[in-house]
Amino acid sequence: MATAQLAEVKREERSLAEEAQAPDTGRARMRAKGVDVYYGDTHAVQNVSLDIYEDEVTALIGPSGCGKSTLLRCFNRMNDTIPSCRVEGEITLDGMDIHGDQMDVVQLRARVGMVFQKPNPFPKSVYDNVAYGPRIHGLASSRSEFDAIVEASLARAGLWEEVKDRLSEPGTSLSGGQQQRLCIARAIAVDPEVILMDEPCSALDPIATARIEELIYELRGRYAIAIVTHNMQQAARVSQRTAFFHLGTLVESGPTDEIFTNPREARTSDYITGRYG
Amino acid sequence: MTRLFDSVIEHLRQDLFRMGGRAEAILEKSLRAVWERAPELADEVAGDDLEIDRLDVAIDEGVLKALALQAPVAEDLREVLAIKMIATDLERVGDLARNVAKIARRMSAQTPRFPLPATLTTLSRATQSSLRRSLDAFSRVDPELARAVMDEDDGIDAQQDEVVETMIRELSSRPGNASQQVDIILLAKHLERVADHATNIAEDVILVAEARNVKHAAKLARATRPA
Repeated sequence: MATAQLAEVKREERSLAEEAQAPDTGRARMRAKGVDVYYGDTHAVQNVSLDIYEDEVTALIGPSGCGKSTLLRCFNRMNDTIPSCRVEGEITLDGMDIHGDQMDVVQLRARVGMVFQKPNPFPKSVYDNVAYGPRIHGLASSRSEFDAIVEASLARAGLWEEVKDRLSEPGTSLSGGQQQRLCIARAIAVDPEVILMDEPCSALDPIATARIEELIYELRGRYAIAIVTHNMQQAARVSQRTAFFHLGTLVESGPTDEIFTNPREARTSDYITGRYG
Repeated sequence: MTRLFDSVIEHLRQDLFRMGGRAEAILEKSLRAVWERAPELADEVAGDDLEIDRLDVAIDEGVLKALALQAPVAEDLREVLAIKMIATDLERVGDLARNVAKIARRMSAQTPRFPLPATLTTLSRATQSSLRRSLDAFSRVDPELARAVMDEDDGIDAQQDEVVETMIRELSSRPGNASQQVDIILLAKHLERVADHATNIAEDVILVAEARNVKHAAKLARATRPA
């Protein structure tokens, strides 16, 4: 049997075993199956299978270099922009292969939005930051339709009351926490199914962080959310499911209350109790 | 701004209020079983206590999750700890009510009926009042009411001693009723223990409200005072 076929058989065996162990508590919006990511010769993510459930926040935790951000970026094909990066394995959104011919990557990134570590509003007004996505995706045509989307998105991001009289001011004139909520409003404006967040609070002070955490918690009822965080207490507070990564492998995933009160794996316990990491 | 923690602590509070209500009700029922010599009421107490035990387990789990997931600090931390400690006290009140119910069953089978002393009635009312007021103090976060409950404890101890002394005298003068007289002494002991748990709850209220640990305060002050 050829090496590629053997690898395929092995992968199928592994994923069947993982499926048998997987908790069946919600509906998976996104599903990674046997995903490997390489940066040149570096094997950054190794045979990871992980589901992102609707109406839930999934936290990806682990020490630096464990592959959690790399995996997160696979979910909307952000790694496509890195020439040396190669992604293998299957990732689906509502059962559809995101690497398949049918999938338009621009549409994918509208359906799977992303919020980054540092707030990165466009050099435009508050209004245009939010209206930009709906405009390029043709989600609205009249001014009143745009107004409605902008207001609803800013309201959902908990920012409307603070900026409703400053819509024409530059997005960059807002505070750091407000800018990050503006970025969340921008992601929401194109009506995504999934929101990916890569350490969204690491550049914010404790008050702005608490505000974003509240927002993440509120948004979980409407979107499937995956968040990468170095802050374990943040993972504990905002997520319903936690996945712990180490050296490119997924060590353990499960309900957050179980991971933080009784993890199955010694490596998880050592990390969350601060013994290493 | 609503905090994530607010819904967590509110859930724990509601469980504790339910548990407090059940503890008061089970104590009342067990005492009625004694006064009315009603074994059928006493039989219900064991089932009622199971519900208190279930709430105790639920609060244990809720407190563990709150500490692990929310890492509360300052008054939030003190309240979570207080809820855990108060739940333990209420669970013990449930156990004591079961002991009272056992005595009710034994006494209802005894003839002739030995009259319950007036001092026992006074003790039982004072104990029930102490438990109710300690729970009120927690629900209102009222340290003054908590201090009033703590101040009553010595009086309740004295009432227990009075019941015991009365029964010891009765044992000598009317030894034919020894079984019921010993049960009355045990009843007084159980009631005094309920009041001790009410005192513990009051001390927890002061911890929440004022960040002061007043447990064993008088005893510890005496022990450290120079001779």
